[in-house]
Amino acid sequence: MYLLNLSLFQMFAVFGAVSAVSVALYLLDRSRRKLVVSTLRFWTAAEQPAVAARRRHISQPWSLILQLVSMALLILALAQVRFGSPASAGRDHVIVLDTSAWMAARSGNRALIDVARQNAREYLRAVPARDRVMLVRADALATPATAFEPDHKKVEAAIQASQPGSTALNLDQALSFARHVQGQDGRRAGEIVFVGSSRTAERDPGMAAPPKNLRVMLTPDNIENSGLRKVGLRRSADDPEQWEIYVSAHNYGTRPRNVTLLLEYGAQNAATRAPVGSEALLLPAGGDGEATFQYRTAYAGILGIKMTPHDAFPSDDQTELELPAMPHLAVTVYSDQPDLLRPLLSATPRLTATYRKPAEYKSDDTGLVILDRFIPPQRPSADSIWIDPPAEGSPIPVKKTVDNVPFSHWDAGQPAAAGLRAKDFKLEKTAVFATAPGDSAVGEVEAGPVVVARAGKPKIVVLGFHPALSPMRYELAWPLLFANLLRWVSPEIFLRSEVGGGSVGTVKLQVADDVTAKDIHVTTDDGSPVPFTLREKTLDFFAGAPGAVRVLAGDHEYMYSLTLPQLGDVKWEAPPNAPHGIPHFSVVMEHITDVWPWLALLGAAGLLIEWLLYGRFRMAKLATRTMTKRTAEAAEVRR
Amino acid sequence: MATTPLLDREFLEKLERLTIHWQKSFAGLVGGHNKSRLPGSGQEFLDHRNFHHGDDLRAINWHAYLRLEKLFLKMFQVEPRVPVRMLVDLSTSMTAHGGGKFEYARKLAASLCYVGLLRLDSIEVHGFSNRLGHRISSSGGRHRFPGVMDRLSLLGPEGATDYLAVIREFIGSYQQRGLVVIISDFLDDRGCERALQYLADFGHELMLVQLWAEEDRNPPWTGELELRDAETGVDLKLDFDDEARRRYTFQFDEYAAAIQTMAHRSGGRYAGVSTAQPLENVIFGELVRMRGVA
Repeated sequence: MYLLNLSLFQMFAVFGAVSAVSVALYLLDRSRRKLVVSTLRFWTAAEQPAVAARRRHISQPWSLILQLVSMALLILALAQVRFGSPASAGRDHVIVLDTSAWMAARSGNRALIDVARQNAREYLRAVPARDRVMLVRADALATPATAFEPDHKKVEAAIQASQPGSTALNLDQALSFARHVQGQDGRRAGEIVFVGSSRTAERDPGMAAPPKNLRVMLTPDNIENSGLRKVGLRRSADDPEQWEIYVSAHNYGTRPRNVTLLLEYGAQNAATRAPVGSEALLLPAGGDGEATFQYRTAYAGILGIKMTPHDAFPSDDQTELELPAMPHLAVTVYSDQPDLLRPLLSATPRLTATYRKPAEYKSDDTGLVILDRFIPPQRPSADSIWIDPPAEGSPIPVKKTVDNVPFSHWDAGQPAAAGLRAKDFKLEKTAVFATAPGDSAVGEVEAGPVVVARAGKPKIVVLGFHPALSPMRYELAWPLLFANLLRWVSPEIFLRSEVGGGSVGTVKLQVADDVTAKDIHVTTDDGSPVPFTLREKTLDFFAGAPGAVRVLAGDHEYMYSLTLPQLGDVKWEAPPNAPHGIPHFSVVMEHITDVWPWLALLGAAGLLIEWLLYGRFRMAKLATRTMTKRTAEAAEVRR
Repeated sequence: MATTPLLDREFLEKLERLTIHWQKSFAGLVGGHNKSRLPGSGQEFLDHRNFHHGDDLRAINWHAYLRLEKLFLKMFQVEPRVPVRMLVDLSTSMTAHGGGKFEYARKLAASLCYVGLLRLDSIEVHGFSNRLGHRISSSGGRHRFPGVMDRLSLLGPEGATDYLAVIREFIGSYQQRGLVVIISDFLDDRGCERALQYLADFGHELMLVQLWAEEDRNPPWTGELELRDAETGVDLKLDFDDEARRRYTFQFDEYAAAIQTMAHRSGGRYAGVSTAQPLENVIFGELVRMRGVA
């Protein structure tokens, strides 16, 4: 006989406390009752006064004994006393079911996950009914699918509902988790059963040894597989409309394999896409193959990459990446001398410039409006750059006009002045502006700012002189200033985009030196933020599910299409002493008698009997019966 | 604050067929409803007696004189108006065990007042404990009853019972004999028999209504008890069991029987009433049986 819930010491402590309280209450309840009566004359005649006024004694010992016995029975029921030995009690088992991406591979006419589920169910059926079982689904993360369940049907349902994920198996983490949850509960630990493939992610050599109670039920997976591993796309530095495409494939099998990479581009519907390239690759056993492509397009679309012929694991044989359109900024120039600005604007392919006479001015232009020495009757609603505006009508008030002044300095803290160093030139004539709070002075002479940027909506930049008509036209600062101003006005146009395709899991990314954590935004395709870390210019984030992730780091934009499954490269070797297969649990486990329900019933019945025999119930009933009887007798006597 | 009336209208309607009765013949003016053996100026012939000087000549039976040549005087029966006086026990013993006896006594007194006022009796109610309390006097019909009930409602318990002092004060206050209804638990440590006998010897007719709570007659408790007298505050510790309960009830019944014997011996009446009995049952049962009301 043993106690399941309490130790012997705990049970005696609880019983002692309850008994003490019970006896105290009993003595208080059954002690001398204080009453106010009409007269004492009949009482004194009926009984001699008690000798010991303060003495308390148990007047109804059987009532107290019955109470104590009943409470002892209830405490034993709470402690779950059992007949048998603790060794024959139920145990807690953990089934670690491999739900990594690799489990979607097919072996014959069945997927590996089907075999693993079958093995897990067979193990579950072999477990004694008294034992509790927890199911843990293991891929890159160990996720408990059930608690420790005595109801094996719930566990079987959870096994049936398990599906392959997208990440590789992190077996060490899963086993560590299983061992941890087994130790949390006070019950005896049973087995930790790993059911799945031996293909895992790269293992940490510092991890603890496998648990001693590990049982292994490996799924045979001698499957030849090769698949895409990584895809990278970026715009060519020479031609922004040209994409440079890099494709990496890996052969997970044991034999070399000839594959063909096929690239298609088009709309979302794969059937309407047009082939844009193909290349044959010979993938050595366990090795990689790489191919590069170039494709020129200015429009958005879907780039599909396929690897043929397909194998038993088709999930990594194809991927799709969404290519963004080349961003364009529409620039409308109002100038009587458009040739002064034409070289600048034509040098940037992302700009589409339109030149108009001031007389043709329209205030509803979109994009960017450049006003060359011209005050429009109505200010443009779009962002605008004002070059040498007349003093009357300037969006930023002109404080004064100065002649023949040396250019003083650029404000290096302003993005519009980034990289500008030249100041060895004189301005023959320039307007000096009176800035308002919030205005940024980009360039200044001694008398004050001559290039001012005003943030807000719309953005406004005002130059107090015409650079192409001043000595600045001989300086490199002139095109740089203009490029900075364009980038400041429309930063999204000048983002450098890269598109990558890969597998879910941890993604690492090198960012530029001047990028800080504040400049980085990592979001999913629905806009929700993704946690990330930045350590020594390496950005790390984790994607647990297939999807797109957008990383904005400074002026770089990275579009990740994480749709390829993550496959482990490491073949895990089970410990040689770990048992394999379905276990045969001893039948003695079933021969355990639970007596606590009967003890609880007996205890409750004892308390009920005590209440009926000695409690207030009996007193009230007795008093009522006696009064009724005596009243009738008295009435009869009077008659 | 509105208080609940002692008696409701439905109960009062049931009382309208009752009359307070007494057995003794009291002298008094005509106008009552109980015949008296004492002759008076009534209409109904009672007896003859010899004529004496000073008798009313109108009452001489002249037919008898012509036949016997002797003067006989006719005597007539009278129904005198007799005052009904009620003494209601207000001692703190009436409040023991929840105050049921006190409430019961007020209701019973109010009921008898209503019955008396219905028959145009003169009603005088006194509360008492160790002395006679203020008088509540009323006569002249049922329309006087609300005032009586209001004043009865204002009575409150106080003090310990002293029957001897109260009866002495009562006799000193009222010379005219009449019916005295005493509603009490008759629990006086000095005894009430002598005082009641004194009252009966003075010529009053006693109607004793002894009230008790069931706990007074048959205490339901057992075990170690610490008792306190509601009137004197004296404590008593004792062990109480079924045998002691039997002795207690015996003592109580002995005491009640002694009061009953005293009442009957002096020509009065006695009713022992448990507060567990409905008031209506007591009035139409106990009081009717003892000819207190009819």
